[in-house]
Amino acid sequence: MSDLMLIAPELIIGITGLIIVLAGLFMGRSSKNALGYLAVLGCLSAIALTISSFATTGSLLAEALVIDALSQFFKLVFLAVALIVCIASIKYTEGNDNAEVFFGLVLFGTLGMMFVASANDLITLYVSFELASLSTYALAGFEKKNARSVEAAMKYILIGALSSALLLLGISFVYGATSTTSIPGIAENIDVLLNNTVGILAIVLLIAGFGFKIALVPFHMWAPDTYQGAPSVVSALLAAGSKKMGIIAAFKVFIVALIALQADWKIAFAALAVVTMTYGNVVALSQTSVKRMLAYSSLAQAGYITMAFVVLTPMALTGGILYTLAHGFMKGGAFIAVGAVVYMVMAKNKDSEVPDHLDSFKGLGKKMPITAFCLMIFLFALAGIPPTAGFMSKFVLFSSTIEAGLVWLAVIAILNSAISLYYYARVVKYMYFMPAEGERFSEPAPYLVALLIALAGVLAIGIWPEPFINMAMQAAEVLLPL
Amino acid sequence: MLPFLSLLILIPLIFSGITLFTKSREQARVVAFVGALATLALSLYMYFTFDSSSASMQFEEMRSWIPSLGISYHLGVDGIAMPLILLNTIVIPLMLIFTWDDVRSAPNRFYALILAMQAAVIGVFVSLDFFLFYIFWELTLIPLFFMVNIWGGPNKAHASMKFFIYTHVASLVMLLGIFGIYFASWFQSGFPSMDIPYLLSQFPLIEDGMLRDGIFLALLFGFLVKMPSVPFHSWLPDAYVEAPVAGSVLFILLKIAGYGMFRVILPILPDTSNPSLMISILGLLGAVSILYGALVALSQQDLKRMIAYSSISHMGFVSLGCAGFVAYSISGAMFQQFSHGLIMAIMFMSVGVIQATTGTRIINELGGLASKMPKLAVIMMLTFMASLGLPGLTGFVAEVNVLAFSYANVPTYVIVALLAIVITAAYHLWAMQRAMFGVYNEKLGDVSDVSMYQLVPMAIIALLILYFGLNPNPVFEMMLTSSNQIASLMAVLGV
Repeated sequence: MSDLMLIAPELIIGITGLIIVLAGLFMGRSSKNALGYLAVLGCLSAIALTISSFATTGSLLAEALVIDALSQFFKLVFLAVALIVCIASIKYTEGNDNAEVFFGLVLFGTLGMMFVASANDLITLYVSFELASLSTYALAGFEKKNARSVEAAMKYILIGALSSALLLLGISFVYGATSTTSIPGIAENIDVLLNNTVGILAIVLLIAGFGFKIALVPFHMWAPDTYQGAPSVVSALLAAGSKKMGIIAAFKVFIVALIALQADWKIAFAALAVVTMTYGNVVALSQTSVKRMLAYSSLAQAGYITMAFVVLTPMALTGGILYTLAHGFMKGGAFIAVGAVVYMVMAKNKDSEVPDHLDSFKGLGKKMPITAFCLMIFLFALAGIPPTAGFMSKFVLFSSTIEAGLVWLAVIAILNSAISLYYYARVVKYMYFMPAEGERFSEPAPYLVALLIALAGVLAIGIWPEPFINMAMQAAEVLLPL
Repeated sequence: MLPFLSLLILIPLIFSGITLFTKSREQARVVAFVGALATLALSLYMYFTFDSSSASMQFEEMRSWIPSLGISYHLGVDGIAMPLILLNTIVIPLMLIFTWDDVRSAPNRFYALILAMQAAVIGVFVSLDFFLFYIFWELTLIPLFFMVNIWGGPNKAHASMKFFIYTHVASLVMLLGIFGIYFASWFQSGFPSMDIPYLLSQFPLIEDGMLRDGIFLALLFGFLVKMPSVPFHSWLPDAYVEAPVAGSVLFILLKIAGYGMFRVILPILPDTSNPSLMISILGLLGAVSILYGALVALSQQDLKRMIAYSSISHMGFVSLGCAGFVAYSISGAMFQQFSHGLIMAIMFMSVGVIQATTGTRIINELGGLASKMPKLAVIMMLTFMASLGLPGLTGFVAEVNVLAFSYANVPTYVIVALLAIVITAAYHLWAMQRAMFGVYNEKLGDVSDVSMYQLVPMAIIALLILYFGLNPNPVFEMMLTSSNQIASLMAVLGV
């Protein structure tokens, strides 16, 4: 029984998801709104359970799952993202006959991510990965009459299937060399893998597999199209949640299992990080679709987090882990704010080709004051301006890079965040310093609640980071025992 | 005791927030003015209770903030910061009166940005924790950027971008320097701390001389660009010229770079591996800035551009006074910052008046304005005299201290600066003569003198220039106390 308590948050999410899907069958179109509230309730209770049991450790199912500070921290990230996505989706799915499918998929996707966070075995990891991926494929194509949404889903599925195949191939090579799929088991037999040509291939495949999920350059091609085409709330889930799943998986595999390789692969990760952040930022400069811009900025942010793999000190990991939480709030919040703007544009003009075009943001400070304010804070947070979560996590991460003596890497990262300020500030300029066209729009309440929760998260981490840094430190200690 | 320093940051910040939500120009300017007055009252109270004879931190506040990274909420003022805070809190309400009748788009944001800027600048002056210092330092960028970008002149987009990129990159380099000293001290003592006085005291203990120099130069670079010093000055003329009058005055009140020199650079300079080289760098940059700024100002056609270059020239005295590295030259440099803030504020206001009434700033298109605008001419004349260093006005006090007491340490550069003073006098007088005196240029049409709203603040600042020129002691004394402490660091080492 106590074993089951360890995965109680997962059970709650899973059961809530099942109830929603089943209940949806018997409910009318108009009463399906209640399902959204149920999903929110599920997320909230899962969050409460995770926080109350933070830093308990244990394992179950023959050590296929381990619960520790690291997995719990990431579960919190996923649950927080799921929470704001669910809240905003109450409005998004209003009057939609398939609302139960939507919420069910969001919760199952989150469930998959949570299991990835606890996975201690490559097979468990892969299966959970697929659970999350399959749910999000369907979500990306949720607007089945919208060509862009379908295109986004198609690209996502094709590339996702490829990356899953690569990942599975990599896992099979690892298994072939070390005859185990348990992550600690691989760490013990690392010599076999190292002295084997297949080992190198396996690692390349694993990097590619995770790289697709995290959207590291050059495995990023799907991300901008998918984030742009998918419904905004789904983009929030993808960018803020599912991307983190790739990161935690990579943390587990590369730091716990393959730590011995670190010295050899440092330069590869450094190159990935530098190329990803620079490419993301430079391309984001010229985007006129805000969602696409956020997608490229998301690449850049993944590049920053990848620096943690290069530096690999407890402080760097603390920074990287804190960054995932901060990024969950700021990017999730930003996509939801864009979702609210798209909602406004679509309410006026159903056939709008690019509803998230920069021009839609003109005078938003007048038209949707709360949304605009929240979006401004999220954008400044993404750019790393104090006192926000983005600044705090960048501060820890970048300073750890300098601590480790990799000043050049820190300089590149810092210059990158200087560049990024340009395109974030441009949106703010459109929102506040361009004349508004049209009247004030009454902002939909669910979006506002989601935005304010994300805002609270961004500011809390920025202004009072101590508890979050402590949690992230505990999580980092799991990866890299002091 | 009340947390005075926190209040000094919070009051403008809160009023800035309120101003943002006002609906009309009348409301916005009244709320902003009340906020600025409250800040002024508080700073005056602090000034009168301030103990000028003590070099230690006063009104200190210390709270733990992020203990795991050694970051604390640590505030305090001493003789370096107090006069600059006073300068800021005095000029801002006067500037608000000056802009009282201006009509512009989005007045609520305009006034909110001014107060936000005030809060950020005061924040820099009172922060004794590098983390906090850096946060406020970066926050000063945002209001200025928007000030230029929204309400600026025809070339505003270019100017604001250039300003932003220059100074942002410089602050990032400075951040690297901060990280350097932070981690070096962390490794040595085994615990993290961002406390400025503590880190400065740890600096001499860093063993690697290269690292010490690297940290020093990174910090110095950050400050020199912001100050600005030749050759990192090219953002300044564009930004100052394109900014609206209030924006130019805000730039002038942005004395954080010079402040950083006294707070951070000078205390660690004696412990770099080659202090005399560093002093030469400072002296050279100071002298070159003075000479170059003066020469370029001499050739300007645009009055505002001329003033912008004269500002570069004047800031050179700050570097030169630092290079002097004795108590009086450092105090002179500090006083130069104070005096420069007052003088330049009127200068930009005068240019603003001239442009508003005549529609041009080109010196040759003006002429004989004194006959039509006698009040403006009197105030401008006084300011120009103060700016070129006439005895009895603040500019003289600052420059004579810098020049006389830096001579012992960096004689060559002082001689260069003395040469430049002749040019300084030339461009001031020549501009004055062409623009204000002589025969009235009839092409300008019928112009009227400055309005009451503009005259009163300018006159008050002019009186302050006169007062502090005759009796600099109210601020000079506390500056001297602090500079004595800085200079004693050098004396201990016997360099």
